[in-house]
Amino acid sequence: MAERGRLSLKNLSVYYGKNQVLKNVNLEIPEKKITVIIGPSGCGKTTLLKCLNRLLGEYEEVRIEGQVIVDGQNIYTPEVDVTQVRKKMGLLSQKPQVLPMSIYDNVAFGPRLFGLRHQPELERLVEKYLKLAGLWDEVKDRLYEPASRLSIGQQQRLCLARGLAVEPEIILGDEPTSALDPQSSRNVELQLLRLKQDYTILLVTHILRQAKRVADYLAFLYLGELVEFGPASQVFENPKDPRTRAYITGEIS
Amino acid sequence: MKDKATGNPELNLRRRKAVESFFKVLMFVSTTAVVLSLVLILVSILWKSLPALKLSMITKTPGSGYYLGKEGGILNAIIGSLELTLGATLIALLIALPVVIYLNTYLGKHSFLAETIRFSLDVLWGIPSIVYGAFGFLLMLFFQLRASLLAGMITVALVELPILSRAMDETIQLVPTELKEATYSLGANHWQTTTRVVLRQAFPGLVTAILIAVGRGLGDAASVLFTAGYTDRITTSWLQPVATLPLAIFFQLNSPFPEVQQRAYASAAVLTWLLLLISLIIRSLSRKFSRNKIR
Amino acid sequence: MPREKLTRLAGAVFSFFPLFLTAAIFFVLLLKAFPLLIFKSLPALIFSSAWQPVKGQFGLWPFILGTLWVTITAFILAVPVSVLTSLYISEYAPEGFKKIFQPILDLLAGLPSVIYGMWGVLLIIPFVSKYLAPVFKTYSSGYSILAAGIVLAVMILPTIINVSVEVLNSVPLDLKEAALSLGATRFEVWRYVVLKKASPGIVAACVLGLSRAFGETIAVLMVVGNVPEIPRSPFSPAYPLPALLANNYGEMMSIPGYESALNLAAFLLLLIVLSFSLLARWYLTKISRRSG
Repeated sequence: MAERGRLSLKNLSVYYGKNQVLKNVNLEIPEKKITVIIGPSGCGKTTLLKCLNRLLGEYEEVRIEGQVIVDGQNIYTPEVDVTQVRKKMGLLSQKPQVLPMSIYDNVAFGPRLFGLRHQPELERLVEKYLKLAGLWDEVKDRLYEPASRLSIGQQQRLCLARGLAVEPEIILGDEPTSALDPQSSRNVELQLLRLKQDYTILLVTHILRQAKRVADYLAFLYLGELVEFGPASQVFENPKDPRTRAYITGEIS
Repeated sequence: MKDKATGNPELNLRRRKAVESFFKVLMFVSTTAVVLSLVLILVSILWKSLPALKLSMITKTPGSGYYLGKEGGILNAIIGSLELTLGATLIALLIALPVVIYLNTYLGKHSFLAETIRFSLDVLWGIPSIVYGAFGFLLMLFFQLRASLLAGMITVALVELPILSRAMDETIQLVPTELKEATYSLGANHWQTTTRVVLRQAFPGLVTAILIAVGRGLGDAASVLFTAGYTDRITTSWLQPVATLPLAIFFQLNSPFPEVQQRAYASAAVLTWLLLLISLIIRSLSRKFSRNKIR
Repeated sequence: MPREKLTRLAGAVFSFFPLFLTAAIFFVLLLKAFPLLIFKSLPALIFSSAWQPVKGQFGLWPFILGTLWVTITAFILAVPVSVLTSLYISEYAPEGFKKIFQPILDLLAGLPSVIYGMWGVLLIIPFVSKYLAPVFKTYSSGYSILAAGIVLAVMILPTIINVSVEVLNSVPLDLKEAALSLGATRFEVWRYVVLKKASPGIVAACVLGLSRAFGETIAVLMVVGNVPEIPRSPFSPAYPLPALLANNYGEMMSIPGYESALNLAAFLLLLIVLSFSLLARWYLTKISRRSG
């Protein structure tokens, strides 16, 4: 039986031309926990995330070696349909990307794509996921306004609701709060903490304090290599690798 | 906490994929149609021109029975077109260059005057060449000129002016401001900065602009239709009518004699090769000079 | 420095030339059209179908209709092809293909009108009269609105495609990736996201192409038949305004009123073309200013 929400990377390497951006990464992401990937910028964290939902080869020329196994199946085999893979993963990007439509239509976008037409059902879903993202109260009276009118913190939560509406098993976050003010950041962090009961969450961040606040597990990625991985408290207090220690204490950034 | 939000997922996915494939086919067909049109045009004209493609086409002028199918070539039109277009481009350049320099050197980017001038250039750019032909004809009457090389040159110059101005304007605007600022900091005034630095940097783009205008001027028939007249001889004086390639093609095509019609295709082939040559030069120039450009 | 001042002055003087020229063209055409307008009112001239210059009848309606029919036909043919091709180029085409396609497009754009006309006479006219007309159970000599429409459509393709591709490419990558992440197919991303953002620009591109179509003269002239009657179907010949001018402008002096009528036709053509092209350009700059 395929386990849901199980994600692992085996010998994953990514090349942009001659430049190797990810070096033989082996990682098993624990289910229904928040795993945070930390590391200096430009070290391949975003590349890693984009590998997971097969966004990587879409608009650029890359070579990918190794396997990404989701629910027991390698997503890089030709039989696998890429849109189904992406449905399993929800991506929250750094800068909120609201679709050019109303708030309601943004959240309903995914379900509609996958064939849901029944109006009352759609309305129920929109309300449910907006509540789950912690945005419902603020927008319930203006669901049909253009999403672009929301504040940036609200937009990010809208993206969260929209991503949840496709019913993923795994949530990927690429520095999801770095464009937000502290209050909105805190808001998003709280939602993620609530969501880990039902979803496997993988976050990328360069804010160590955020990692401390939310991480169950910590992975340190340095220059494309997975240097260290383990329970968050352990890695923070007792890093095994000197590079990890150097990063955490702020010597390298 | 999770629930089912979709209908039959398998069917749905297949339908979506089918939609995408359908449109992919349409897109491919469209693009092929575009490429095919070009191929068709070039091939069909070349094909029809083969019987008449002799060296004498480009080395001789029409003999006495030319339009009845006898001896001759279109040297008159080739030379005529070159004379006319070169002259017209020079006239257009004489006006366009100062205007573009003035716009970019002395006026601010958003000054009212600059906007107005650019707007009027836009208006001029949009005017169809037949209207320029009509205007040129009226000018001719006003100055009591007959259909001639001079009248044709002036009209084509008017057609080329907005094209030339816009292309040169865009090129000069591409010169980075930092470069200009650095030059000013050395103590240069506006004129020196423009002539010694900006124009030098923009030079390849300016040459390209001129070639684009030349290409346009060579092929345009509507503007020379009433203003340049036509002749079977090689024109040597400003006030004489002059033969042009587009009109040569046009007149020969309308002849009832198949031999003459074939010559029309041959003339078209000559014109096309000439334009192809120009566009090749443009392409290689921009590639060659971009290596030296400061980015 | 006196030299600086002199060049500045010279520059200013030269720069007034475009303004002066624009005004001159409008003014002169209107002036020359004026004499006829004293005798006949504008609506009478525009909407009358009687065109008998010798008898002093100058109804411009058939020509205006002819222009509209030909241009609309070209538009209907060109827009779907252009939009589909632009989409292919900006979303799906491999790099290598894009590199050969651009020169092809430039070549198409650079071919003179007379060569298009020639191709029209060579291939399109027989195509219409021998293949298309029988399918629709009509007879056509081939010299028709449809032939002109096809030729014209190919002529305006490069214009529409170039601008549309630029507009499509300007949609931010992040937005497309966000939609893809939700599990949409590339086509769905285009349809629900890119299209919404790019459609104003694509509309402007089409309008630009339309303005070019209105003014094309020689190619249309050679295939459209030049019969001054109101066309009955796409297979009938027609006589658009530019063709009217091209055929008669030089020799109109002998008949009174003819000169005015033609200048009026020229003026009308000028107005139509300019309103479309300026509208499109204004719209395009507005969009680029908003996103850039």
